[in-house]
Amino acid sequence: MDYILGVESTAHTFSVSVMSSSGKILSDSRNVFKAPEGSGIHPFEASQSHIRAAARVLKEAVEESGVPLDSMAAVSYSMGPGLGPCLRVGAVVARTLASSLELPLVPVNHAVGHIELGCLLTKAKDPIVLLVSGGHTMVISFSGGRWRVLGESLDLTLGQLLDQFGRHAGLASPCGRAIEEAARLSDRYLRLPYSVKGNDVSFSGLLTASKSLLDEGASFGDVAFSIQETAFAMVAEVTERALAFTGKKEVLVVGGVAANRRLDGMMDSMAKRHSARVGVAPIGYSGDCGAQIAWTGWLAHRSGIRVPVEGGAVRQSWRLDSVDIPWRD
Amino acid sequence: MYRLRVLDDAIRRQRTVREAEMMHSARGAGVRSPHLYFVDPRGAAIVMEYIEGERMKDAVDGGSPKKVAGMFRRLGLAAARLHSAGIMHGDLTTANVILGGREITLLDFGLSSHTTRVEDHAVDLRLIKETIVGAHPGFSALALDALHEGYSSEAGPGRSKAVFTQLKGIERRGRYARVV
Repeated sequence: MDYILGVESTAHTFSVSVMSSSGKILSDSRNVFKAPEGSGIHPFEASQSHIRAAARVLKEAVEESGVPLDSMAAVSYSMGPGLGPCLRVGAVVARTLASSLELPLVPVNHAVGHIELGCLLTKAKDPIVLLVSGGHTMVISFSGGRWRVLGESLDLTLGQLLDQFGRHAGLASPCGRAIEEAARLSDRYLRLPYSVKGNDVSFSGLLTASKSLLDEGASFGDVAFSIQETAFAMVAEVTERALAFTGKKEVLVVGGVAANRRLDGMMDSMAKRHSARVGVAPIGYSGDCGAQIAWTGWLAHRSGIRVPVEGGAVRQSWRLDSVDIPWRD
Repeated sequence: MYRLRVLDDAIRRQRTVREAEMMHSARGAGVRSPHLYFVDPRGAAIVMEYIEGERMKDAVDGGSPKKVAGMFRRLGLAAARLHSAGIMHGDLTTANVILGGREITLLDFGLSSHTTRVEDHAVDLRLIKETIVGAHPGFSALALDALHEGYSSEAGPGRSKAVFTQLKGIERRGRYARVV
Protein backbone atom coordinates (compact mmCIF):
# COMPACT_ATOMS: atom_id res chain seq x y z
CA MET A 1 0.00 0.00 0.00
CA ASP A 2 1.21 3.51 -0.87
CA TYR A 3 0.25 6.75 0.85
CA ILE A 4 0.08 10.28 -0.46
CA LEU A 5 -0.34 13.68 1.13
CA GLY A 6 -2.42 16.42 -0.48
CA VAL A 7 -2.50 20.14 0.31
CA GLU A 8 -5.46 22.32 -0.70
CA SER A 9 -5.45 26.12 -0.34
CA THR A 10 -7.31 27.51 -3.35
CA ALA A 11 -9.67 29.90 -1.56
CA HIS A 12 -11.23 29.94 1.90
CA THR A 13 -10.15 26.42 2.86
CA PHE A 14 -6.68 25.30 3.86
CA SER A 15 -6.73 21.54 4.13
CA VAL A 16 -4.31 18.63 4.32
CA SER A 17 -5.32 15.06 3.69
CA VAL A 18 -3.57 11.70 3.66
CA MET A 19 -4.98 8.99 1.42
CA SER A 20 -4.00 5.45 0.58
CA SER A 21 -3.48 4.20 -2.95
CA SER A 22 -6.65 2.13 -2.53
CA GLY A 23 -8.68 5.32 -2.24
CA LYS A 24 -9.23 5.42 1.50
CA ILE A 25 -9.27 8.86 3.13
CA LEU A 26 -7.11 8.41 6.22
CA SER A 27 -7.38 12.02 7.31
CA ASP A 28 -8.66 15.38 6.07
CA SER A 29 -8.00 18.35 8.38
CA ARG A 30 -9.11 21.86 7.58
CA ASN A 31 -9.01 25.52 8.44
CA VAL A 32 -11.87 27.47 6.88
CA PHE A 33 -11.50 31.25 6.69
CA LYS A 34 -14.73 32.92 7.68
CA ALA A 35 -15.34 36.38 6.25
CA PRO A 36 -16.99 39.09 8.36
CA GLU A 37 -20.76 39.49 7.91
CA GLY A 38 -21.80 41.20 4.70
CA SER A 39 -18.40 40.76 3.02
CA GLY A 40 -16.65 38.18 0.86
CA ILE A 41 -13.29 36.46 1.00
CA HIS A 42 -10.45 38.95 1.07
CA PRO A 43 -7.61 36.98 -0.57
CA PHE A 44 -4.87 38.44 1.61
CA GLU A 45 -6.77 37.97 4.86
CA ALA A 46 -7.67 34.40 3.90
CA SER A 47 -4.01 33.68 3.16
CA GLN A 48 -2.99 35.06 6.58
CA SER A 49 -5.52 32.77 8.20
CA HIS A 50 -4.07 29.84 6.23
CA ILE A 51 -0.52 30.71 7.27
CA ARG A 52 -1.49 30.76 10.93
CA ALA A 53 -3.31 27.43 10.63
CA ALA A 54 -0.95 25.57 8.29
CA ALA A 55 1.32 23.88 10.84
CA ARG A 56 -1.59 22.79 13.03
CA VAL A 57 -3.63 21.42 10.12
CA LEU A 58 -0.65 19.54 8.71
CA LYS A 59 0.21 18.02 12.08
CA GLU A 60 -3.41 16.97 12.67
CA ALA A 61 -3.71 15.35 9.26
CA VAL A 62 -0.48 13.37 9.59
CA GLU A 63 -1.17 12.24 13.15
CA GLU A 64 -4.73 11.19 12.43
CA SER A 65 -3.67 9.19 9.38
CA GLY A 66 -1.11 7.24 11.38
CA VAL A 67 1.24 7.41 8.41
CA PRO A 68 4.66 8.91 9.22
CA LEU A 69 5.64 11.75 6.91
CA ASP A 70 8.68 9.91 5.58
CA SER A 71 6.47 7.01 4.45
CA MET A 72 4.58 9.09 1.89
CA ALA A 73 5.03 8.22 -1.77
CA ALA A 74 4.62 11.84 -2.84
CA VAL A 75 3.38 15.28 -1.85
CA SER A 76 0.64 16.82 -3.99
CA TYR A 77 -0.76 20.33 -3.90
CA SER A 78 -3.37 22.47 -5.55
CA MET A 79 -1.44 24.46 -8.16
CA GLY A 80 -4.53 26.40 -9.29
CA PRO A 81 -6.83 27.88 -10.33
CA GLY A 82 -7.67 30.12 -7.41
CA LEU A 83 -6.67 33.12 -5.34
CA GLY A 84 -2.94 33.82 -5.66
CA PRO A 85 -2.13 34.62 -2.02
CA CYS A 86 -4.04 31.55 -0.82
CA LEU A 87 -2.55 29.19 -3.41
CA ARG A 88 0.96 30.30 -2.45
CA VAL A 89 0.50 29.16 1.16
CA GLY A 90 -0.28 25.62 0.05
CA ALA A 91 2.56 25.65 -2.48
CA VAL A 92 5.07 26.73 0.17
CA VAL A 93 3.95 23.97 2.54
CA ALA A 94 4.09 21.34 -0.24
CA ARG A 95 7.48 22.46 -1.56
CA THR A 96 8.93 22.47 1.93
CA LEU A 97 7.73 18.93 2.59
CA ALA A 98 8.83 17.61 -0.80
CA SER A 99 12.24 19.18 -0.51
CA SER A 100 12.98 18.19 3.09
CA LEU A 101 11.62 14.66 2.73
CA GLU A 102 13.03 14.27 -0.80
CA LEU A 103 9.67 13.23 -2.20
CA PRO A 104 8.17 13.84 -5.65
CA LEU A 105 6.11 17.05 -5.84
CA VAL A 106 2.84 16.56 -7.76
CA PRO A 107 0.82 19.55 -9.05
CA VAL A 108 -2.98 19.13 -9.15
CA ASN A 109 -5.63 21.19 -10.90
CA HIS A 110 -8.23 22.01 -8.25
CA ALA A 111 -11.22 21.48 -10.58
CA VAL A 112 -9.92 18.11 -11.75
CA GLY A 113 -9.55 17.33 -8.04
CA HIS A 114 -13.25 17.92 -7.39
CA ILE A 115 -14.17 15.63 -10.28
CA GLU A 116 -11.78 12.76 -9.53
CA LEU A 117 -12.64 12.65 -5.82
CA GLY A 118 -16.34 12.79 -6.76
CA CYS A 119 -15.86 9.84 -9.11
CA LEU A 120 -14.03 7.88 -6.42
CA LEU A 121 -16.65 8.49 -3.73
CA THR A 122 -19.73 7.93 -5.89
CA LYS A 123 -18.19 5.17 -8.04
CA ALA A 124 -19.04 7.16 -11.19
CA LYS A 125 -17.13 5.87 -14.20
CA ASP A 126 -17.79 8.23 -17.11
CA PRO A 127 -20.19 10.92 -15.92
CA ILE A 128 -21.44 14.25 -17.14
CA VAL A 129 -20.10 16.44 -14.36
CA LEU A 130 -21.82 19.51 -12.98
CA LEU A 131 -19.13 21.45 -11.10
CA VAL A 132 -20.78 24.19 -9.07
CA SER A 133 -18.84 26.24 -6.54
CA GLY A 134 -17.60 29.73 -5.84
CA GLY A 135 -14.93 29.32 -8.49
CA HIS A 136 -16.67 27.23 -11.13
CA THR A 137 -19.98 26.63 -12.87
CA MET A 138 -19.30 24.16 -15.64
CA VAL A 139 -20.82 21.15 -17.35
CA ILE A 140 -17.99 18.77 -18.13
CA SER A 141 -17.49 15.51 -19.96
CA PHE A 142 -14.42 13.37 -20.55
CA SER A 143 -13.32 12.83 -24.11
CA GLY A 144 -10.08 12.65 -26.04
CA GLY A 145 -7.75 12.63 -23.02
CA ARG A 146 -9.17 15.65 -21.24
CA TRP A 147 -12.12 16.82 -19.21
CA ARG A 148 -13.96 19.00 -21.74
CA VAL A 149 -16.21 21.92 -20.93
CA LEU A 150 -19.56 21.50 -22.71
CA GLY A 151 -21.15 24.52 -21.10
CA GLU A 152 -20.42 27.08 -18.41
CA SER A 153 -21.50 30.33 -16.86
CA LEU A 154 -20.77 33.35 -18.99
CA ASP A 155 -20.45 35.59 -15.95
CA LEU A 156 -20.90 34.76 -12.26
CA THR A 157 -20.49 31.28 -10.85
CA LEU A 158 -23.42 29.71 -9.00
CA GLY A 159 -21.52 30.10 -5.72
CA GLN A 160 -20.90 33.77 -6.40
CA LEU A 161 -24.54 34.31 -7.30
CA LEU A 162 -25.70 32.85 -3.98
CA ASP A 163 -22.96 34.57 -1.99
CA GLN A 164 -23.47 37.99 -3.50
CA PHE A 165 -27.20 37.72 -3.02
CA GLY A 166 -26.71 36.57 0.57
CA ARG A 167 -24.26 39.33 1.34
CA HIS A 168 -26.69 41.88 -0.03
CA ALA A 169 -29.07 40.57 2.64
CA GLY A 170 -26.34 41.01 5.29
CA LEU A 171 -25.12 37.41 5.58
CA ALA A 172 -21.47 36.34 5.73
CA SER A 173 -19.90 34.23 2.98
CA PRO A 174 -20.37 31.39 2.33
CA CYS A 175 -24.14 32.02 2.36
CA GLY A 176 -25.38 28.88 0.59
CA ARG A 177 -26.65 27.08 3.65
CA ALA A 178 -28.55 30.08 5.06
CA ILE A 179 -30.20 30.62 1.68
CA GLU A 180 -31.14 26.95 1.40
CA GLU A 181 -32.71 26.98 4.85
CA ALA A 182 -34.68 30.17 4.22
CA ALA A 183 -35.82 28.85 0.83
CA ARG A 184 -37.16 25.65 2.38
CA LEU A 185 -39.73 27.68 4.32
CA SER A 186 -41.17 29.37 1.22
CA ASP A 187 -43.08 28.18 -1.82
CA ARG A 188 -43.87 31.55 -3.26
CA TYR A 189 -42.21 31.96 -6.65
CA LEU A 190 -41.39 35.51 -7.68
CA ARG A 191 -40.69 35.86 -11.37
CA LEU A 192 -36.96 36.19 -12.09
CA PRO A 193 -34.97 36.21 -15.34
CA TYR A 194 -34.07 32.75 -16.62
CA SER A 195 -31.07 32.92 -18.95
CA VAL A 196 -29.90 29.85 -20.85
CA LYS A 197 -27.85 30.50 -23.98
CA GLY A 198 -27.23 27.25 -25.78
CA ASN A 199 -25.22 25.20 -23.28
CA ASP A 200 -24.22 28.25 -21.28
CA VAL A 201 -25.94 30.14 -18.49
CA SER A 202 -25.78 33.72 -17.33
CA PHE A 203 -26.53 34.75 -13.75
CA SER A 204 -25.83 38.48 -13.69
CA GLY A 205 -29.38 39.55 -14.59
CA LEU A 206 -30.76 37.10 -12.05
CA LEU A 207 -28.55 38.58 -9.31
CA THR A 208 -29.56 42.15 -10.09
CA ALA A 209 -33.25 41.27 -10.17
CA SER A 210 -33.04 39.32 -6.91
CA LYS A 211 -31.28 42.16 -5.13
CA SER A 212 -33.92 44.58 -6.41
CA LEU A 213 -36.70 42.38 -5.07
CA LEU A 214 -35.08 42.49 -1.63
CA ASP A 215 -34.68 46.25 -1.85
CA GLU A 216 -38.35 46.57 -2.77
CA GLY A 217 -39.27 44.78 0.42
CA ALA A 218 -39.87 41.19 -0.72
CA SER A 219 -39.21 38.67 2.05
CA PHE A 220 -35.74 37.10 2.13
CA GLY A 221 -37.24 33.60 2.16
CA ASP A 222 -39.37 34.18 -0.94
CA VAL A 223 -36.47 35.62 -2.91
CA ALA A 224 -34.14 32.88 -1.63
CA PHE A 225 -36.66 30.29 -2.83
CA SER A 226 -37.08 32.00 -6.20
CA ILE A 227 -33.38 32.52 -6.88
CA GLN A 228 -32.68 28.86 -6.09
CA GLU A 229 -35.52 27.58 -8.25
CA THR A 230 -34.43 29.73 -11.17
CA ALA A 231 -30.67 29.23 -10.98
CA PHE A 232 -30.82 25.50 -10.24
CA ALA A 233 -33.30 24.92 -13.08
CA MET A 234 -30.88 26.69 -15.41
CA VAL A 235 -27.93 24.47 -14.49
CA ALA A 236 -30.18 21.39 -14.54
CA GLU A 237 -31.28 22.31 -18.05
CA VAL A 238 -27.75 22.66 -19.42
CA THR A 239 -26.73 19.44 -17.69
CA GLU A 240 -29.73 17.73 -19.28
CA ARG A 241 -28.66 19.03 -22.67
CA ALA A 242 -25.19 17.58 -22.16
CA LEU A 243 -26.68 14.22 -21.10
CA ALA A 244 -28.92 14.10 -24.14
CA PHE A 245 -26.10 15.19 -26.43
CA THR A 246 -23.50 12.71 -25.23
CA GLY A 247 -25.86 9.86 -24.37
CA LYS A 248 -23.95 9.26 -21.14
CA LYS A 249 -25.80 7.58 -18.28
CA GLU A 250 -24.21 9.08 -15.18
CA VAL A 251 -24.33 12.54 -13.66
CA LEU A 252 -21.88 13.68 -11.00
CA VAL A 253 -22.54 16.83 -8.97
CA VAL A 254 -19.47 18.28 -7.24
CA GLY A 255 -18.27 21.59 -5.78
CA GLY A 256 -19.48 23.53 -2.76
CA VAL A 257 -23.02 24.07 -4.07
CA ALA A 258 -23.46 20.30 -4.48
CA ALA A 259 -24.20 20.32 -0.75
CA ASN A 260 -27.55 21.98 -1.54
CA ARG A 261 -30.34 19.38 -1.25
CA ARG A 262 -32.73 21.20 -3.55
CA LEU A 263 -30.14 21.25 -6.33
CA ASP A 264 -29.51 17.54 -5.85
CA GLY A 265 -33.24 16.81 -5.87
CA MET A 266 -33.68 18.72 -9.10
CA MET A 267 -30.74 16.91 -10.69
CA ASP A 268 -32.28 13.60 -9.61
CA SER A 269 -35.61 14.22 -11.27
CA MET A 270 -33.91 15.56 -14.38
CA ALA A 271 -31.65 12.51 -14.66
CA LYS A 272 -34.54 10.06 -14.17
CA ARG A 273 -36.02 11.16 -17.47
CA HIS A 274 -32.83 9.99 -19.15
CA SER A 275 -32.50 6.82 -17.05
CA ALA A 276 -29.25 8.27 -15.78
CA ARG A 277 -27.81 7.76 -12.33
CA VAL A 278 -26.92 10.80 -10.21
CA GLY A 279 -23.98 10.76 -7.84
CA VAL A 280 -23.45 13.60 -5.41
CA ALA A 281 -20.21 13.91 -3.51
CA PRO A 282 -20.92 13.36 0.23
CA ILE A 283 -21.45 16.67 2.01
CA GLY A 284 -18.05 16.77 3.74
CA TYR A 285 -16.28 16.19 0.44
CA SER A 286 -18.31 18.15 -2.09
CA GLY A 287 -16.58 21.42 -1.23
CA ASP A 288 -12.87 22.21 -1.09
CA CYS A 289 -10.79 19.64 0.78
CA GLY A 290 -7.32 18.12 0.90
CA ALA A 291 -8.69 14.73 -0.19
CA GLN A 292 -9.52 16.01 -3.67
CA ILE A 293 -5.86 16.95 -4.06
CA ALA A 294 -4.45 13.84 -2.41
CA TRP A 295 -6.52 11.45 -4.56
CA THR A 296 -5.91 13.26 -7.84
CA GLY A 297 -2.29 13.63 -6.78
CA TRP A 298 -2.10 9.88 -6.45
CA LEU A 299 -3.60 9.32 -9.92
CA ALA A 300 -1.17 11.86 -11.39
CA HIS A 301 1.80 10.46 -9.48
CA ARG A 302 1.01 6.99 -10.78
CA SER A 303 1.08 8.44 -14.30
CA GLY A 304 4.50 9.97 -13.67
CA ILE A 305 3.41 13.60 -13.32
CA ARG A 306 5.66 15.73 -11.11
CA VAL A 307 7.41 19.07 -11.03
CA PRO A 308 10.84 19.90 -9.62
CA VAL A 309 10.60 21.82 -6.35
CA GLU A 310 11.81 25.02 -8.00
CA GLY A 311 9.03 24.59 -10.60
CA GLY A 312 6.30 24.24 -7.97
CA ALA A 313 4.70 27.61 -8.61
CA VAL A 314 0.99 28.44 -8.63
CA ARG A 315 -1.34 29.17 -11.56
CA GLN A 316 -4.22 31.47 -10.72
CA SER A 317 -5.69 30.93 -14.16
CA TRP A 318 -5.60 27.29 -15.16
CA ARG A 319 -8.64 25.99 -16.99
CA LEU A 320 -9.37 22.36 -16.46
CA ASP A 321 -9.83 21.72 -20.19
CA SER A 322 -6.13 22.50 -20.68
CA VAL A 323 -5.02 19.65 -18.39
CA ASP A 324 -4.01 16.31 -19.93
CA ILE A 325 -5.46 13.37 -18.01
CA PRO A 326 -3.26 10.35 -18.79
CA TRP A 327 -4.90 8.10 -16.20
CA ARG A 328 -8.26 7.92 -18.01
CA ASP A 329 -9.10 6.55 -21.42
CA MET B 1 -40.52 17.76 -13.95
CA TYR B 2 -37.49 19.22 -12.24
CA ARG B 3 -38.49 22.82 -12.76
CA LEU B 4 -41.12 24.53 -10.68
CA ARG B 5 -44.45 24.22 -12.50
CA VAL B 6 -45.08 27.92 -12.96
CA LEU B 7 -41.54 28.52 -14.23
CA ASP B 8 -41.65 25.49 -16.50
CA ASP B 9 -44.97 26.44 -18.07
CA ALA B 10 -43.78 29.94 -18.84
CA ILE B 11 -40.51 28.75 -20.38
CA ARG B 12 -42.11 26.04 -22.49
CA ARG B 13 -44.88 28.24 -23.79
CA GLN B 14 -42.43 30.99 -24.71
CA ARG B 15 -40.05 28.58 -26.43
CA THR B 16 -42.79 26.84 -28.40
CA VAL B 17 -44.04 30.09 -29.85
CA ARG B 18 -40.49 31.21 -30.49
CA GLU B 19 -39.54 27.97 -32.18
CA ALA B 20 -42.50 28.00 -34.55
CA GLU B 21 -41.93 31.60 -35.51
CA MET B 22 -38.20 31.25 -36.00
CA MET B 23 -38.39 28.04 -38.04
CA HIS B 24 -40.48 30.02 -40.42
CA SER B 25 -38.08 32.99 -40.47
CA ALA B 26 -35.13 30.69 -41.04
CA ARG B 27 -36.61 29.42 -44.28
CA GLY B 28 -37.10 33.01 -45.34
CA ALA B 29 -33.37 33.48 -44.79
CA GLY B 30 -32.55 30.55 -47.08
CA VAL B 31 -31.85 28.00 -44.36
CA ARG B 32 -33.75 24.76 -44.52
CA SER B 33 -35.86 23.88 -41.47
CA PRO B 34 -38.87 21.56 -41.12
CA HIS B 35 -42.26 22.76 -42.36
CA LEU B 36 -44.74 23.56 -39.63
CA TYR B 37 -48.02 21.67 -39.58
CA PHE B 38 -49.52 22.57 -36.22
CA VAL B 39 -48.55 24.58 -33.13
CA ASP B 40 -50.06 24.22 -29.65
CA PRO B 41 -48.46 26.78 -27.29
CA ARG B 42 -50.50 25.67 -24.26
CA GLY B 43 -49.48 22.07 -24.66
CA ALA B 44 -45.98 23.17 -25.72
CA ALA B 45 -46.22 21.01 -28.84
CA ILE B 46 -45.30 21.48 -32.49
CA VAL B 47 -46.17 19.07 -35.27
CA MET B 48 -43.66 19.40 -38.07
CA GLU B 49 -42.29 17.80 -41.20
CA TYR B 50 -40.26 14.63 -40.75
CA ILE B 51 -36.76 15.16 -42.11
CA GLU B 52 -35.07 12.14 -43.65
CA GLY B 53 -31.33 11.94 -42.97
CA GLU B 54 -28.62 11.55 -40.38
CA ARG B 55 -27.86 13.67 -37.33
CA MET B 56 -24.66 15.58 -37.98
CA LYS B 57 -23.38 14.57 -34.54
CA ASP B 58 -23.43 10.90 -35.55
CA ALA B 59 -22.13 11.56 -39.04
CA VAL B 60 -19.11 13.44 -37.69
CA ASP B 61 -18.12 10.58 -35.43
CA GLY B 62 -17.70 8.14 -38.27
CA GLY B 63 -16.85 10.59 -41.05
CA SER B 64 -13.70 11.06 -43.11
CA PRO B 65 -11.80 14.34 -42.64
CA LYS B 66 -12.94 15.53 -46.04
CA LYS B 67 -16.62 14.82 -45.32
CA VAL B 68 -16.42 16.36 -41.86
CA ALA B 69 -14.87 19.53 -43.27
CA GLY B 70 -17.70 19.70 -45.81
CA MET B 71 -20.32 19.40 -43.06
CA PHE B 72 -18.85 22.18 -40.97
CA ARG B 73 -18.42 24.38 -44.04
CA ARG B 74 -22.13 24.02 -44.75
CA LEU B 75 -23.00 24.60 -41.10
CA GLY B 76 -20.90 27.78 -41.09
CA LEU B 77 -22.66 28.94 -44.22
CA ALA B 78 -26.10 28.25 -42.75
CA ALA B 79 -25.19 30.11 -39.54
CA ALA B 80 -24.02 33.12 -41.57
CA ARG B 81 -27.28 33.11 -43.57
CA LEU B 82 -29.32 33.18 -40.38
CA HIS B 83 -27.16 35.94 -38.96
CA SER B 84 -27.39 38.01 -42.12
CA ALA B 85 -31.17 37.85 -41.73
CA GLY B 86 -30.87 38.99 -38.12
CA ILE B 87 -31.54 35.57 -36.57
CA MET B 88 -29.57 33.94 -33.79
CA HIS B 89 -30.23 30.20 -33.59
CA GLY B 90 -29.25 29.86 -29.94
CA ASP B 91 -28.68 26.11 -29.95
CA LEU B 92 -26.35 25.24 -32.80
CA THR B 93 -24.97 21.90 -31.65
CA THR B 94 -24.28 19.12 -34.11
CA ALA B 95 -27.25 17.27 -32.57
CA ASN B 96 -29.59 19.86 -34.05
CA VAL B 97 -28.45 19.49 -37.63
CA ILE B 98 -29.80 16.84 -40.03
CA LEU B 99 -27.81 15.87 -43.09
CA GLY B 100 -29.78 14.59 -46.05
CA GLY B 101 -27.94 14.31 -49.34
CA ARG B 102 -26.23 17.62 -49.98
CA GLU B 103 -28.70 19.57 -47.90
CA ILE B 104 -28.54 20.44 -44.24
CA THR B 105 -31.59 21.13 -42.12
CA LEU B 106 -31.50 23.03 -38.84
CA LEU B 107 -33.80 22.08 -35.97
CA ASP B 108 -34.63 23.25 -32.46
CA PHE B 109 -35.16 26.97 -32.73
CA GLY B 110 -36.57 27.19 -29.19
CA LEU B 111 -33.71 29.42 -28.01
CA SER B 112 -33.63 31.60 -31.13
CA SER B 113 -34.08 35.31 -31.25
CA HIS B 114 -34.10 38.26 -33.62
CA THR B 115 -30.82 40.04 -33.14
CA THR B 116 -28.16 41.70 -35.23
CA ARG B 117 -25.65 42.15 -32.38
CA VAL B 118 -22.16 40.86 -33.10
CA GLU B 119 -22.06 39.46 -29.55
CA ASP B 120 -25.17 37.32 -30.08
CA HIS B 121 -23.90 35.97 -33.37
CA ALA B 122 -20.60 35.15 -31.71
CA VAL B 123 -22.48 33.27 -28.96
CA ASP B 124 -23.96 31.07 -31.70
CA LEU B 125 -20.51 30.24 -33.05
CA ARG B 126 -19.18 29.70 -29.56
CA LEU B 127 -21.67 26.89 -29.00
CA ILE B 128 -20.60 25.20 -32.24
CA LYS B 129 -17.03 25.55 -31.08
CA GLU B 130 -17.84 24.13 -27.62
CA THR B 131 -19.50 21.20 -29.36
CA ILE B 132 -16.52 20.63 -31.64
CA VAL B 133 -13.95 20.79 -28.87
CA GLY B 134 -16.11 18.98 -26.32
CA ALA B 135 -17.65 16.23 -28.43
CA HIS B 136 -15.47 15.91 -31.52
CA PRO B 137 -11.97 16.78 -30.22
CA GLY B 138 -10.26 14.64 -32.85
CA PHE B 139 -11.52 16.97 -35.59
CA SER B 140 -11.01 20.26 -33.71
CA ALA B 141 -8.60 22.10 -36.01
CA LEU B 142 -10.14 20.90 -39.23
CA ALA B 143 -13.73 21.53 -38.17
CA LEU B 144 -13.01 25.02 -36.86
CA ASP B 145 -11.22 25.99 -40.08
CA ALA B 146 -14.10 24.68 -42.18
CA LEU B 147 -16.65 26.47 -40.02
CA HIS B 148 -14.74 29.71 -40.42
CA GLU B 149 -14.43 29.22 -44.16
CA GLY B 150 -18.14 28.52 -44.62
CA TYR B 151 -19.16 31.41 -42.42
CA SER B 152 -16.87 33.91 -44.18
CA SER B 153 -18.01 32.84 -47.63
CA GLU B 154 -21.52 34.00 -46.80
CA ALA B 155 -21.01 36.77 -44.24
CA GLY B 156 -18.11 38.44 -46.05
CA PRO B 157 -14.64 39.03 -44.60
CA GLY B 158 -15.49 42.16 -42.60
CA ARG B 159 -18.47 40.82 -40.69
CA SER B 160 -16.85 37.43 -40.28
CA LYS B 161 -13.76 38.97 -38.74
CA ALA B 162 -15.88 41.02 -36.34
CA VAL B 163 -17.85 37.98 -35.18
CA PHE B 164 -14.82 35.69 -34.76
CA THR B 165 -12.92 38.42 -32.88
CA GLN B 166 -15.90 38.79 -30.56
CA LEU B 167 -15.88 35.01 -30.08
CA LYS B 168 -12.30 35.23 -28.78
CA GLY B 169 -13.43 37.99 -26.44
CA ILE B 170 -16.21 35.78 -25.04
CA GLU B 171 -13.75 32.97 -24.46
CA ARG B 172 -11.43 35.29 -22.57
CA ARG B 173 -14.34 36.08 -20.27
CA GLY B 174 -14.55 32.37 -19.37
CA ARG B 175 -13.41 31.37 -15.90
CA TYR B 176 -9.67 30.92 -15.58
CA ALA B 177 -8.98 31.59 -19.22
CA ARG B 178 -5.38 32.71 -19.35
CA VAL B 179 -5.63 36.37 -18.45
CA VAL B 180 -3.75 36.69 -15.14
